[in-house]
Amino acid sequence: MRARAAWRSGRVRIGGILVAIVLVAGILAPWLAPHDPEAQDLLALLLPPAWAPGGQAAFPLGTDTLGRCVLSRLIWGARVALYVAILASLGAMILGGVLGHVAGYFGGWVDRLISRAVDVWMSFPPVVLSLVLMVGLGVGINNVVLAIILVDWTRFCRVLRADVLTVMNRDYVTAARLAGFGHVQTIWREVLPATLPLLATLVSLEMGMAVVVEAILSVVGMSVEANVPAWGVMIADSRQAMYQAPWNLILPMVAILVAVLGFNLLGDGLRLALDARQSGARAEAP
Amino acid sequence: MIATLLRIVLRRLLAAVPILVLVSMMLFGILRLLPVDPAAMSVPPNATREEIETVRRDMGLDRPIPEQYVRWALTLLRGDFGTSIHYRKPVGPLLAETLPATIELALAALVVAGFLGIGGGLGLFHVRGTWKAAVGDLGSTALMSIPSFLWAIILILIFAVAFRAMPVAGRLDMAFARPPGTGFLLLDAILAGRLDLLASAAKHLVLPAFALGLSFSPPIMRVLRSGLHDVYAEDYIRQARLRGLDEGRILIGHAARNAMLPTATLLGVQFGFLFGGTLLVEVLFSFPGMGGLMVEAVRNTDLPVIQAIGLTYCLVVLAVNAVTDIVCLLLDPRLRAN
Amino acid sequence: MTSITHRLAAIVAAVAAALAGAEAAAQAKDSVVIGWQSDIPSWDPTQRTSPDSQSIYKAVFDQPLDQAIDLSLKGHLAKSWKLAPDGLSVELEFRDDVVFHNGDKLTSEDFRYTFFERPKRGDKVDLANFWRNVTDIETPSPTRAVIKLSKPMPTAPQWLAFFCSYVLPKRYMESVGLDAFRDKPVGSGPYKVVDYQLGSRMVLERNDAYWGPKPAIRQVTIQVIKEASSRVSAIQAGQVDLTVNVPVREAERLGKEKGLAAQLRPITRVVLLQIRNDLGFADPNIRLALHHAIDKDAISRAFYNGAAVPLSVVATPGSPGHLQDFKFPHDPAKASAYLAKSGFGPDKPAKIKFASTNGHFPSDFEIARALVAMWKKVGIEAELETIEYAKYFELNRGHKLPEATLYSWDNASGDPEIFSGYLLNPNMPFSAWKGPEIGEKVVKLFGVVDYNERIAGYRAINREAVETGASVPLLQSVITVAHKDGLTYAPYGNGWILPQSMAWK
Repeated sequence: MRARAAWRSGRVRIGGILVAIVLVAGILAPWLAPHDPEAQDLLALLLPPAWAPGGQAAFPLGTDTLGRCVLSRLIWGARVALYVAILASLGAMILGGVLGHVAGYFGGWVDRLISRAVDVWMSFPPVVLSLVLMVGLGVGINNVVLAIILVDWTRFCRVLRADVLTVMNRDYVTAARLAGFGHVQTIWREVLPATLPLLATLVSLEMGMAVVVEAILSVVGMSVEANVPAWGVMIADSRQAMYQAPWNLILPMVAILVAVLGFNLLGDGLRLALDARQSGARAEAP
Repeated sequence: MIATLLRIVLRRLLAAVPILVLVSMMLFGILRLLPVDPAAMSVPPNATREEIETVRRDMGLDRPIPEQYVRWALTLLRGDFGTSIHYRKPVGPLLAETLPATIELALAALVVAGFLGIGGGLGLFHVRGTWKAAVGDLGSTALMSIPSFLWAIILILIFAVAFRAMPVAGRLDMAFARPPGTGFLLLDAILAGRLDLLASAAKHLVLPAFALGLSFSPPIMRVLRSGLHDVYAEDYIRQARLRGLDEGRILIGHAARNAMLPTATLLGVQFGFLFGGTLLVEVLFSFPGMGGLMVEAVRNTDLPVIQAIGLTYCLVVLAVNAVTDIVCLLLDPRLRAN
Repeated sequence: MTSITHRLAAIVAAVAAALAGAEAAAQAKDSVVIGWQSDIPSWDPTQRTSPDSQSIYKAVFDQPLDQAIDLSLKGHLAKSWKLAPDGLSVELEFRDDVVFHNGDKLTSEDFRYTFFERPKRGDKVDLANFWRNVTDIETPSPTRAVIKLSKPMPTAPQWLAFFCSYVLPKRYMESVGLDAFRDKPVGSGPYKVVDYQLGSRMVLERNDAYWGPKPAIRQVTIQVIKEASSRVSAIQAGQVDLTVNVPVREAERLGKEKGLAAQLRPITRVVLLQIRNDLGFADPNIRLALHHAIDKDAISRAFYNGAAVPLSVVATPGSPGHLQDFKFPHDPAKASAYLAKSGFGPDKPAKIKFASTNGHFPSDFEIARALVAMWKKVGIEAELETIEYAKYFELNRGHKLPEATLYSWDNASGDPEIFSGYLLNPNMPFSAWKGPEIGEKVVKLFGVVDYNERIAGYRAINREAVETGASVPLLQSVITVAHKDGLTYAPYGNGWILPQSMAWK
């Protein structure tokens, strides 16, 4: 019932399609991409897309500063973006979610401690903190994931804690405790199902943000290893030739926009659909 | 009344202090993860092992980390921000040169975000219920998906590559010397009475400010619009309509004022993110602010500069948060009840 | 609502008109705006070796000796010089008509102060390292100085026109102190510093009391623009009159624009690989295979429009250490053969680590990635990481360098000691090669004073180093300059762009 309501929403549909495009590209990359994304052709540098004068059919979207096929790099870049997005948002969800539930459920000094930590963390502008973390951790795709988790868990924590607090006031939670269920069981059985919809929304939004953070770190030069095709790296590489080959800059930007827009619409749509459902449920409850 | 307000302000400021301390500890700790040797980096390439050891002892790098932190914190309190390894100069003046640029950019971006956000929010509300609103809604979600650095690149592509219309580098036309003063170019130009300097500084501020402002206006639009929704349900709006006031006057004169509070709060909260966003926008526009300095320090692993700038970013965010809280307390008497 | 919109629109239009109207005044023809890629480390020219800053330092300060456009050594502050046959002393005869910007006369005392007294008392300047063998500088008269060395320094004359070797004003520096000097520097050069904004811009004005030829340009503004794409935007928009180190492709395109001209000139800068003699490179077969697998012509064509000259020794054509007839060919078959001898191939690749800078010199990271691809084809798997230029020395000191590092080496002097001598001397921080075979021979050459003997020795070393795989030179690098049509400047073979040599046609 929940899923059907969500599906009816236009946002979820459009967002879902965009995300699906990225997913398909990422999963089927080895079969979809016409070339190896790292294969260089030093005789075919900065070719325009195939339909423009000077373009070659072998390279549908042209080549970059090292003669690598732009289309192949975009497709494989989707894989990298998904890897970072999924791992980072799941990690942030787990870390922030657990701490948020713990803070909201137990209250008292536990809540104060965790909230204080969140306050401290959130005093850092996220871009600055992720940069500092990358300086400390070193370059590499897994470090990028780790850095995003370490920066963004706070948002999950704060939002979920607020949600948990409202849920805690519900009768069925007190009922569960009175019936003798332990803390973990109570959280698992009663609290989590109520906060799950919000979690899903947050994860979707977070995935969009992870893609953006990776791109920002790439432009600064502190993200993935040298032989990894990522959209942010494509942007960073193409800035120096932007007057001669603006396509190289525009295409990865479009890719990032498609992915982020998809995740945002999906998350937004889920939120609206599930909000409506929740207020409907409240009306039904005795 | 003044006494209670002062007490609230003081309490708010004091609450920020332990956060600042914890922030500095966190910054220090993260950077010590690095397998980098600041002593080795401070000496010329020809230096011998013994010379490096001497420098290491001078810098206190052979002490345990907590002791190093305390030393750093104490020198910081004395106003000494350390010495840049790369520039071999004290960090304080470097910060003093670049901080005003970043703040000026952030404020300009806030103004742009405010105008676009408030204008957009009013507009969206005005056409509510029509198809235009649905389009506008989708549009604002789309806009929210474009981070500031992508806006920067888009604007550069349009205004520098496609049409060579606007400057995309620096704060001032190459021909001008920076006027002495505060470091806030617009202010300094006015104080010096130089219209040409003012025009040049403003022109250079436009694209970076829009890059940041465009990315931060959608949330403002939304908050204002939902704020207006709530306000319009109130009785006094119906009263005003009965009195015969036209919709435009009602919107601007009555409703907007009341919906401003959540909007103002949001602007204050957003400032933190906006301020962080200046980092990459500065790099892309070669804007000589803290962002450019930070990126260079990161590339050179210049620890003292990274620490000092990281701390400054947090300080500004904390200060703005505190000010926003105080302003909200002043504006809304209901919040003072606590 | 509409009236408000109208009012707002009117205000915006008025502001826009005002901004558009208040334009900058037209550029006067006795001034120049230069877009430079980096700031100077500080206004103490003896503090840090900074190849990019030499053009600026030479406008404000003077060196004892100088180089002509063809890089031959000539007198400057010193009218003549004499290196003793045993290399343990250098006699200099200074001009007597030189005056610092603050009016003080320049004498041999200032020379002694800069090159002996400051290093001796422990001032933290890179100059102290290069002149660490100075035991004293005698000053028998205000225009004569004799440098006394503890070890023979055959290249002392070349060094007097090289990094950090500038003469500073003793009286002024001692009276105001180092910090104040760096804020308001005083030199003896053709230009004075009238404004300096850290990381942003410098303004120089012609020194009308200069002892040498008067520069044609009265006012020079140097704008620091760190990003290459911003430098391109600036010259295109006419905001600067000259800029350097724009990407090669952009230089080509800018040269075709109306009103602009561009040059792509090879200079005394070598792009090479610094090689370790151990770890993954202990086996000479791998090193030689690595070298044979590199298609230097393809790299030159791809990234330098063919303007970069492929090198087989670490010396630039026209410099004494260059071997005209020696060629190390691009031969993937030979590379595979060498690898096979040690049991490696595309199925069983030899593994090495490789480091490169990114943005330190044009196309550095592109070249690194192209090399990785070339090596992969023959069976060498290189793991590439980015490092900052400064990090190279730190890693070298701790013996933590990867097997190969892409390196750019500037040698304005052209002297082979400062090419392969420095790059292969195991006692110096630049060499990654610590093997004794080549190392001992290089160290010995540092003590040879006779010029011809020394040059012959280096020519032999250059060949041997490449043949044994201790040195992998790639290309002679180019400098890219884009400027307004009407501006001329002296094209030094080492890439100096001196403001005092500029003029409007």
